[in-house]
Amino acid sequence: MDFIRHILGFNADSPLLFTQFYFWAFFALVYALFALLMSIQPSAFSHQKLHLRNVYLLFVSWFFYYKTSGLFLLILAFVTLSDWLIAQRIQHSAFRNQKTAWLVLSVIIDLGLLAYFKYAYFFTNMVNDLFGTGFQVFDIFAYVGNGFAKAGRFSVDTIVLPVGISFFIFQVISYTADVYRGRIQPVKNILDFGFYVSFFPQLVAGPIVRAEEFIPQLYKPFRLSRRLFGVAVFWILNGLAKKIIMSDYLAVNIIDRVFDNPLLFSGFENLFALFAYSLQVYADFSGYTDIAIGVAMLMGFYLPMNFNSPYKSQSPQEFWRRWHMSLGRWLKTYLYIPLGGNRKIGFGTYFWLSLIAFVSAALTGWWWIVLVIGSLLLVIGVIDYQWKKSITNHQSPITNRQKLLYSNLNSFITQVLGGLWHGASWNFIIWGGINGIGMIVEKIWRKMNWHIRFASMTLLTFGLCATDYYTNLPAWRLFAVWAAIVWAGTAIRYVYWLITMDKKVNHQLSVINAKLGQAWAIIQTFTFITFTRLFFRSSSNLDPATANEVAWATAKNMVNQIGGAWNNAIIPEFLWEYRWVVAMFIAGMIIHWLPTNWKRRYRLWFSSMPLWLMVVAVCVAIVVIYQFVTADMQPFIYFQF
Amino acid sequence: MRPHQVLLFIIAVMVCLGTLCFVLPERVTIGDKTLRWPTMAEVLGVETSAISSQLSEETENPVDTVIPEYRDTGIPEISKNPETPVDTVLPEAPKPQPVAQDVPKVNVDSTTDSRVYLAAFYSALGEAGTHKVRVLHYGDSQIEEDRMTQQIREKLQAHYGGSGAGLLPLAQTIPSRTVRQRLKMNGRTITPQQGPRRYIVYGPKRDQRKDGKYGVMGQVAMMNDSLVKGSEALTAICTPLDGRLRYEIMRVFADSSIACEQSGDTVRLNGRGAVYGLSQESSTGVIVDNIPMRGCLGLVFTKMDSAQLATFYREENVRLIIMQFGGNAIPFNETPSTIRSIVHGLREQVRTIKAYAPEASILFIGPSDMLQQTDGEWQTYPMIPYMDRLLRKMALEEHIAYFSLYQWMGGSGSMKRWQEVGLAGNDGIHFYRSGARKAGNAVAEWILSGTY
Repeated sequence: MDFIRHILGFNADSPLLFTQFYFWAFFALVYALFALLMSIQPSAFSHQKLHLRNVYLLFVSWFFYYKTSGLFLLILAFVTLSDWLIAQRIQHSAFRNQKTAWLVLSVIIDLGLLAYFKYAYFFTNMVNDLFGTGFQVFDIFAYVGNGFAKAGRFSVDTIVLPVGISFFIFQVISYTADVYRGRIQPVKNILDFGFYVSFFPQLVAGPIVRAEEFIPQLYKPFRLSRRLFGVAVFWILNGLAKKIIMSDYLAVNIIDRVFDNPLLFSGFENLFALFAYSLQVYADFSGYTDIAIGVAMLMGFYLPMNFNSPYKSQSPQEFWRRWHMSLGRWLKTYLYIPLGGNRKIGFGTYFWLSLIAFVSAALTGWWWIVLVIGSLLLVIGVIDYQWKKSITNHQSPITNRQKLLYSNLNSFITQVLGGLWHGASWNFIIWGGINGIGMIVEKIWRKMNWHIRFASMTLLTFGLCATDYYTNLPAWRLFAVWAAIVWAGTAIRYVYWLITMDKKVNHQLSVINAKLGQAWAIIQTFTFITFTRLFFRSSSNLDPATANEVAWATAKNMVNQIGGAWNNAIIPEFLWEYRWVVAMFIAGMIIHWLPTNWKRRYRLWFSSMPLWLMVVAVCVAIVVIYQFVTADMQPFIYFQF
Repeated sequence: MRPHQVLLFIIAVMVCLGTLCFVLPERVTIGDKTLRWPTMAEVLGVETSAISSQLSEETENPVDTVIPEYRDTGIPEISKNPETPVDTVLPEAPKPQPVAQDVPKVNVDSTTDSRVYLAAFYSALGEAGTHKVRVLHYGDSQIEEDRMTQQIREKLQAHYGGSGAGLLPLAQTIPSRTVRQRLKMNGRTITPQQGPRRYIVYGPKRDQRKDGKYGVMGQVAMMNDSLVKGSEALTAICTPLDGRLRYEIMRVFADSSIACEQSGDTVRLNGRGAVYGLSQESSTGVIVDNIPMRGCLGLVFTKMDSAQLATFYREENVRLIIMQFGGNAIPFNETPSTIRSIVHGLREQVRTIKAYAPEASILFIGPSDMLQQTDGEWQTYPMIPYMDRLLRKMALEEHIAYFSLYQWMGGSGSMKRWQEVGLAGNDGIHFYRSGARKAGNAVAEWILSGTY
């Protein structure tokens, strides 16, 4: 009896994770019944067969979610019902205003739930900080639940975050918004819609599947070519290897240690851990979605690609097109474009920028932020008004300057709010803000001519070096060193440009120059993204106020160590003692940077293997991966005293 | 491919992997590497009974493990502590952790309240109204940043008076939670690494000095050590971060060749020679010094200059010396014999300190619970319970007090619970500040509750 309760019941300590045996046993059983359903003949009943398949997978998905999140399944069921009903209402409303009212209601319900479960602590802390109040969160759902169940069964003092809520809420919003915009017809059957919302491979960690991409698949028969089957198996193995070898192994043996106690480690160790963390975050997240994509494919469903070797990006803008692509597309479609995109700035742009300025100023006590951003917005408003007037007068299209301004402002807001989506604490907002600023700076940089680039970089480097010398603070040292490196690269390219400006350049030389330029841009982008990660990490086992404090202290201590506690003598010792960890990191980066066509080639090679050989290959791969699960830990060695 | 073919593929993979569970041994050692593969029982998660019985044998043995004197400061109190966040309620007892079978039994006298060995310190506390009573807290990385010491200081000073954070190094290589230090050389702010050359008794060979003169903190900064550097005039600015840490006097422990001039939180130093540390303190009451020694096993006191230590202990009226070591022995010493030899070494250190400070009581704080990943599971290092008992045995034999951090936390696997409620870090070794605060308070309360 206990065994059955263990298998079927919810246990917060043992969620269904792709990296555990239990999930694969669960999947094998689910697939056995799935195969049985799909083998039902005749084809005259194919419509019913598809319906049966969808209903079956819906209940499997709900069970999966129950195993992972318990009674939060009710929240999932609630948003499914509410958005399904509202989408129907939108479709049947005769007037635009009515449609809009339904859409607003849906967004209020969805974002309200997200805000309640994910951001209650964040907002409560913010209000307490701003007004000196002492509010505490109160779990209304637990309170109501206690009314039904035995009193005291649920704690009302804490709000627990339902797993995957950020993902499925964004999915239902995309559905309702697409119905509103007439991009898709509402789903007639609520069970089909429920399946779209809760399809288990992508329920917990994405990709965020948009309705128009997925819903048509509900009505298509199962189709999986031999090669696609191989590709699916490849994605699953690839994901497991990324998650366990590149992510978990690096995390346990170096990253967690350093991020927990940066002061125990020298500058180089901190820097290495930071870069390794960049790889770990990618491997962890993309590994999980690779598995989701593979598992879904085996059932005949195709999820969108979520990561496209993001550290190959040559600019922060490109990075955001390659990193968590489904979120990027979602934010672009449902936030950036409604804000005005690169076509306009409107109320939304001014509202969000003012709010960001006000809240930042109130919490830091630096009220000059409001003054600076307020003045800036005023200037922007006046310029924009003049531009719009000239457009009305001359009927000229939007100029490039306008596009640059509009897109920069709107994408900055998108980045900041995107940061908040990743986690309910200040460090994520700072992270989003830094990404936004980085993107703007890079876009402006690319538009500069070489003389201005070189002159501004020289000036910046000189200024930072002088500040470093004057203050002697590790943070400035870090900026100064980085600026000096960028300056050196800029100087070389500037000289090359000067020499070759008026001359016919040897084709081979120009190819080499272009390649070197690309490599340089990739390294700089990777470095920039890596440093933004200082603010990307938050301890989930801490209460939000402490998590904020710890995240800030970690970032500060790491910067202090990297910029201040550098000791060249211990670098070789560290590299030798941590040789396996270092080797894993280097191997991970090399694999990541392999040309796309190489990766495609070995993927195809794998997927075309004879099936018996594939079975052997899968077994060997799992045995190897298991060695990393059980590998002896890297001993705790101090180099810095 | 049709679904049933995919299913056959999945079954084939599972059968092959399952067969390996029967065919392959659990461990295959090739050179210095071990290849592992689980048994079918492990895969199905049914292999726990043997472990449970081992554990119950460990915890139910009253002679070996029950340490009654500080049961009342134990884990159940955590949620009642006002400093603990409301939601920091510990989950249920941890799952049984495997215990190494080849660890010998250690018979420890559990009836003695080891605080009887703090009697001299308790009587010295009675004089704290008119005299200075100094407490030195030596330890490893667990007490860096003034962790744990801070709470011991706060509680003792609240009861017996005294102020100031106590001893500080000249250059703060590790920031502290209580005092912010800055260093200026010839008027320009410098990082600790740019300051005078440091020698540390617990560091690698290149950072050690032959004459053993490290001062009482085990580290010394040599001003103008190198002729190349030229004249260094140093200014140390030490600002307490908490109003309660306002001190009466700031002192400098340095060679007589160093000229010192103090104003407010600032000390100006000039000359050539050794600076052993600064101190912010009061003229009466209790002064508690935080002396962290990163990576240290605690076997360094015999390497330090005896005259320097003995003089300091005597002149500064050091009446309690806390030694918190043992954790660094664990990850590298997997056999009972190495642990025994380290505890033997620690016994030598205790005797040495006793000889240098005959007036002082000694309190030994054993290692906390520590975790390592074994076969993919976070588990307590098998040597910890053994070392904990050996240390207690050694302490009682040497007539010094012993506080078992490991037992107080809840024994085997308790670090996992601490991690879950945000009291300890992911490395399975170090406390978070909240955890250190809790442990520091527990030690302080334990000491104070022995004053009768």
